[in-house]
Amino acid sequence: MKVSTLLLRIISVGALVAGSGALAAEGDPVAGKGKTSMCVGCHGIPGYHTAFPEVYHVPKLGGQHAAYLVKALQEYKAGNRSHPSMRAIAAGLSDQDMADLAAYYASDAMKAAAK
Amino acid sequence: MKRTLLGACCLMIALSAPALAGDADAGKKKSQTCAACHGPDGNSSAPDFPKIAGQHYDYLLKALKDYKSGARKNPIMAPLVANLTQRDIEDLAAYYSSQRGLVTKY
Repeated sequence: MKVSTLLLRIISVGALVAGSGALAAEGDPVAGKGKTSMCVGCHGIPGYHTAFPEVYHVPKLGGQHAAYLVKALQEYKAGNRSHPSMRAIAAGLSDQDMADLAAYYASDAMKAAAK
Repeated sequence: MKRTLLGACCLMIALSAPALAGDADAGKKKSQTCAACHGPDGNSSAPDFPKIAGQHYDYLLKALKDYKSGARKNPIMAPLVANLTQRDIEDLAAYYSSQRGLVTKY
């Protein structure tokens, strides 16, 4: 293989990697804070319980990894996770909304770990 | 009559108290497999794997139960929970919920 061909290959692989990275929406925690109106009624109240279809504490989100939060929202939107309220809420979220919300809830990681 | 009422109230309070059946110490001993992804105390350092330290006991129970029943589908978790007993699930949930980590964020 000629050096120039090798170089071309390296550049194209690099472009592919950069391109795939750009597909994932970058989360903005400040924008995320402005989008929590559908979240706080359950996730913002300490000790809050679900009412339907089963009763248990709604999960804590503060300090959770952003990547995991995005994945959870995508799974609700896709129907792979079954909670009715979460499916309905996630259905209306764009990839950017999910990334912003995840960035907001993840942003207290240091504080959460210290608590 | 008063005593009966008092007794009934006590019973209702006892029944409504959260049933924390799991044993955190036993859960810690059973957590080696979990630690590989979720971290030794549940504060996972890998962004794809959720932190479970400090998560609510009953939410952890629900998640593990749903993985076991297949209601929640995950190729990694499904085989790991397949052999857990109800007791194991309760002990693990007790252990991770008693660790410091996640918080309720408004």
